Amino acid sequence: MKRCMRIVAVTATAALLAAGCGGGSGSGDGAEGGDVSLVMTFWGNDDRAQRYDQALRAYEEANPGVTVQETFVDYPSYWPARATEAAGRSLPDVMLMDLSYLREFGANGQLLDVSTLSGDEAIDLSGMSDSLIPSGQVDGAQVGVPVGTNAFALFTDAAAVEATGVPAPEQPTWDEYNDYVAAVAAAGATDAEGQALFGSGDYTGIFWIFIHWLNQQGVEPFTEDGELGFTQDDVAEWWGSVEDLRGGGGFISPERVNQLTPLSIFDAGETTTEQSWDNFLAGYVSNNPDGEHSLQPIPSDDPADPGLFLKPSMLYSIGANTEHPAEAAALVDYLVNDPAAGEAFGTSQGLRASSYQRDAMELEGVDAQVAEYEESIEPLLQDSPPPPVRGFGTLEARFLEINENLNYGTLSVDEAAEQWYGEAQQTLADNQ
Amino acid sequence: MTETQMSSTPLPAAAAEAVMPSDHERERRRRRRGRDRRRAVVFHAITLALVVVILYPAVWMVVSSFRPSTEIVGNVSIIPSAVTLENYASAFSGIGGVSFWTFFANSTILAVGSVVGVAASSAVTAYALARIDFRGRALWFSLMIATLLLPVHVILIPQYIVFNNLGLVNTFWPLLLGKFLAAEAFFVFLMVQFMRNLPRELDEAARIDGAGHVRIFRSIMLPLMKPALVTSSIFAFIWSWNDFLGPLLYLKDPNLYSLPIALRLYVDQTTGTSNFGAQIAMAVLALVPVLIFFLVFQRYIVAGVATQGLKG
Repeated sequence: MKRCMRIVAVTATAALLAAGCGGGSGSGDGAEGGDVSLVMTFWGNDDRAQRYDQALRAYEEANPGVTVQETFVDYPSYWPARATEAAGRSLPDVMLMDLSYLREFGANGQLLDVSTLSGDEAIDLSGMSDSLIPSGQVDGAQVGVPVGTNAFALFTDAAAVEATGVPAPEQPTWDEYNDYVAAVAAAGATDAEGQALFGSGDYTGIFWIFIHWLNQQGVEPFTEDGELGFTQDDVAEWWGSVEDLRGGGGFISPERVNQLTPLSIFDAGETTTEQSWDNFLAGYVSNNPDGEHSLQPIPSDDPADPGLFLKPSMLYSIGANTEHPAEAAALVDYLVNDPAAGEAFGTSQGLRASSYQRDAMELEGVDAQVAEYEESIEPLLQDSPPPPVRGFGTLEARFLEINENLNYGTLSVDEAAEQWYGEAQQTLADNQ
Repeated sequence: MTETQMSSTPLPAAAAEAVMPSDHERERRRRRRGRDRRRAVVFHAITLALVVVILYPAVWMVVSSFRPSTEIVGNVSIIPSAVTLENYASAFSGIGGVSFWTFFANSTILAVGSVVGVAASSAVTAYALARIDFRGRALWFSLMIATLLLPVHVILIPQYIVFNNLGLVNTFWPLLLGKFLAAEAFFVFLMVQFMRNLPRELDEAARIDGAGHVRIFRSIMLPLMKPALVTSSIFAFIWSWNDFLGPLLYLKDPNLYSLPIALRLYVDQTTGTSNFGAQIAMAVLALVPVLIFFLVFQRYIVAGVATQGLKG
């Protein structure tokens, strides 16, 4: 037993030494020889890893002397790992960034302000819509470079519209849209399975639609110092605007919405319209192949200003602690602008943000439809919003939950608005 | 006479009854046997029901690993409608150019390293704390116990910074070094308590024969500590094998990932193309070593508990 244990101990230690050293040798980079080794990290799965492998190996081939070591984990694990690295000032040279985390990392000076790079080192942002670029800025520093975009849209399913017999409105005002929803419910048509058809669910619970509605009235949802830019009355007005539909059975019932989860009511073909991000189209089409889906700007009382904006689906950031800012910036430039890199990713990260990549791609089917929509709304676009305030996720979730109480009739509009607004102020104060 | 009194009847009386049972006694005993049987049936029925509840998720997992990937989510049945080996094929083909066996080897190195490190370092440390009288022993012992009370999350970031400055991130060292330095207070404590129960007369006898600490430790303590060593090894193995946060923070290169990290690379909600089948197949494969390890060593766990009950 004793001798046996000793042998096990010796062999295991030897194996460990070998393995430990083996792992370490990969990260050595001889800066003096001009060879640079960059660490690039992203979240995702096998599919995305293969796309990165393709793009990065091509980059290494075109840039001798630069090697890129990629690492990846799934989305929920990605953030604790980055937060720990940030604490140790050892963030990767290049990392994929989500809009909702940009402020957390950017505001602490953890990310490189790429606008400080000049000349050959600068990242070319000229291919991106001017309205999109501010979404990568925190406190005036360009800490994120957009990768892809999405925008909000009003989806219509022509097949369901035909079944209801009520013509769907084109570019409606909010009143016209609400009248339409009421008319569909009144028509009382059913789908093939005998389920009643509706015009919409209670869309006023979706925080992003509320933000667009504020935009249409020229109200900034959040102030520069991270406070709420709207009043409790705005919330009450918004939720009160569909009071008749809510009480009069104009919307599909919340019970039915819950029954259909994880499918959405629009996925299930039980509503004729839905307001959502345009990249949802692929999901709608695959979940409801019989539908005939089209996109248009969301309702607005001023058709020339639907309050729309582009949101970056994801961004690239460079760790402020990088030893090779120029090389890291060159890599980001390649990933967002080079047509070959664009081809490797297709639309898997949203519609490519840079026109240098977008124009070089042959899009078809759903991708082409989304691209066409984003082109059509380009003259209408407002500036992209700054990265969301901390605590945005909580605000969004509570907005939906409290709105559900309206539909169950347990709260009045004023009570609901008061409850949400109070909670929201508290959440923002807690996150300062 | 009540039931409990009956069963605790002293042996001689029972023997006397067995020699000459009266009709009355026989009748009563038959009734009792009937009651016992009924009770056994109820007991077994409840136990079986519990086993079904407890084993159901495991059976579901094994069955699902043979299902086509699209039929797994939202399906609670444990009878497969179609059987496929495709999930295992894609699990074995690896992720992002890294083979399944690399993940497996990494997990094995970490687990075996942890077992060796914990067993060796904790035993020596425990010997010092239990048997050697040195200045401030009580203080050092309570400081060690105090580290048990520190939540992992408090030391996570300082530890990361230290290892990062030492240039050891992206190697296995951060995950193993502490185990070779007896930083796992739980195991040291376990062994100290075990050693305290060993009769001191044994080492005193050895000392009279001229043995020093090294000799006493090797020839007297180590053989007697086998149950504690095995118990520690089992825990160290399973904890290391299942550890997720440590490898997530310290291992950056996919070639160094352990199985728990690799498992999650098949499913990413944000990319839309999730391979649940391969994930479950890999989970089944990852369970096999733990299961084997447990089956081989479980009798030592029982032995360990039994030995600890016997006080010298």
